[in-house]
Amino acid sequence: MTTKMYLFKEGYDNLRKHGSKTFSTMLIICATLLVLGIFLVLFQNVNANVETVRVEQGLQAFIDDTATDDEIEYMQDEIKQIEGVKEVKYIDKDMAFEDAKQAFKDQEYFLEGLDKVNIFPASFVVKFNNINQSQTVKTAVEKIDGIYKVNYNEDRIQAVISISKIANIFLLGIGAVLLIVSIFIISNTIKLAVYSNKREIFIMRYIGATNRFIRTPFIVEGTIMGLVSAIISFILISIAYVLIYARVPQVGSSLGVFGFLPYTTLWYQILIVYVVLGLFIGIFGSAISIKKYLKV
Amino acid sequence: MIEFINVKKEYNHDVLALNNINLKIEKGDFTFLVGPSGSGKSTFLKLMIKEEEPTSGKILIDGKDIGKFKNKDIPFLRRKIGFVFQDFRLLYDRDVFENISFALRVIECSEREIQAQVKNVLQMVGLTGKEKYYPNQLSGGEQQRVALARALATKPPIIIADEPTGNLDPTTAKGIFKTLLDINSRGTTVLVVTHAMDIVNDLNKRVIYLDHGQVVKDEQKGGPKFDNENVFI
Repeated sequence: MTTKMYLFKEGYDNLRKHGSKTFSTMLIICATLLVLGIFLVLFQNVNANVETVRVEQGLQAFIDDTATDDEIEYMQDEIKQIEGVKEVKYIDKDMAFEDAKQAFKDQEYFLEGLDKVNIFPASFVVKFNNINQSQTVKTAVEKIDGIYKVNYNEDRIQAVISISKIANIFLLGIGAVLLIVSIFIISNTIKLAVYSNKREIFIMRYIGATNRFIRTPFIVEGTIMGLVSAIISFILISIAYVLIYARVPQVGSSLGVFGFLPYTTLWYQILIVYVVLGLFIGIFGSAISIKKYLKV
Repeated sequence: MIEFINVKKEYNHDVLALNNINLKIEKGDFTFLVGPSGSGKSTFLKLMIKEEEPTSGKILIDGKDIGKFKNKDIPFLRRKIGFVFQDFRLLYDRDVFENISFALRVIECSEREIQAQVKNVLQMVGLTGKEKYYPNQLSGGEQQRVALARALATKPPIIIADEPTGNLDPTTAKGIFKTLLDINSRGTTVLVVTHAMDIVNDLNKRVIYLDHGQVVKDEQKGGPKFDNENVFI
């Protein structure tokens, strides 16, 4: 048995020696990680929905009825060349009328007779590469000859963005609190292990064990607890997400409704976050507990 | 091998534990350190393994000034000194083999070295065949032999025994001292702190007598002259 294997085995034996304490610690860490995971999933979903709003929401530029087809084509090219424009979609008068019909599906009497004289103007729907460029794009579009009005629902977008910012800060805050709680819990369990191994540590120090040698089994113990809790939490949250996902709308599926991301785009992020957090909680939690026993 | 030069140790600026200690223990010596409780014996040992720092003075172990050692060097200083305690300090949930191999694992020996060395030291202390016994299946004397074997396993040039026979009956105690002499005859420097004056007097070895933190006597051959000293206070 090499030294590394021996130290690993010592750490593992510690876990087994305090089986019930290990179990309850992992249970609490799992619960913490699950809560963190739920927040993470919400965080990702909120951001995905905000992103959808950002991408979907463009500005609408209305075209003078007098504009000829050539002029419209020229305008479209001009808009395309504006920096920050992702795509430009032309909606002719017929399509505009169809859209209106769709919008007033239940009150069709509003539109009676309008099919003979189409009052709906043709327009361009302009989407942005980046929401931050929306103002400059809007100003540039307004300056184009033949555009008589630009509609851009800035307030709504800004509201969604600020809500998501607040939500993100809130989620990060909760995450940080839960992280500290986890570290505290694991460090308490390791303290118990250190205490019950006081005799060994005393002898080790007299025999000439390096700090690394004394510390490693406890770090191994903490790491295993953190990692196993991370994997269990990952499995549980994966099952829960897949079950819930089958019963809720998907993101971007219907305009204006909060939708869920498919799990295929989320699982690896959750796994990475869990493994990193599990390792961090385990290593950091055990390192702070053993520190005071390493004085010479 | 062990040298104290003008060593002084004060606790909290007013409790003087050791005062102006000057002594030298040569390589291969067998030395007793005696004195009443509170005379500074424990402080003396703690200074040797750098568990405490002297207030002033210099301590040389194996020719090196240990005052210059950094924290990271301390484990390597301690590997030169095998420590034997009065209460054995064995791990009661591990068998004899594991108790001894524990010391070898600490200094990161290979499995093959561990197997050979445990066998070797068990033979030295007369416990061959007891590898699988747990400490509480052994007598007090045998337990102290296991502790001795553990101290010897890492082949330290110095063995310090702090009251090694304090918990043992006289016959068993003699056996332990016989083993310590045997270890000494193989070249290991041995320093024994003890109250067992009959044995000190029997063995005719060097005796350093500490009292109130000072060396009050340093006899190259201890003997009946210590009979009248009240070292059991």
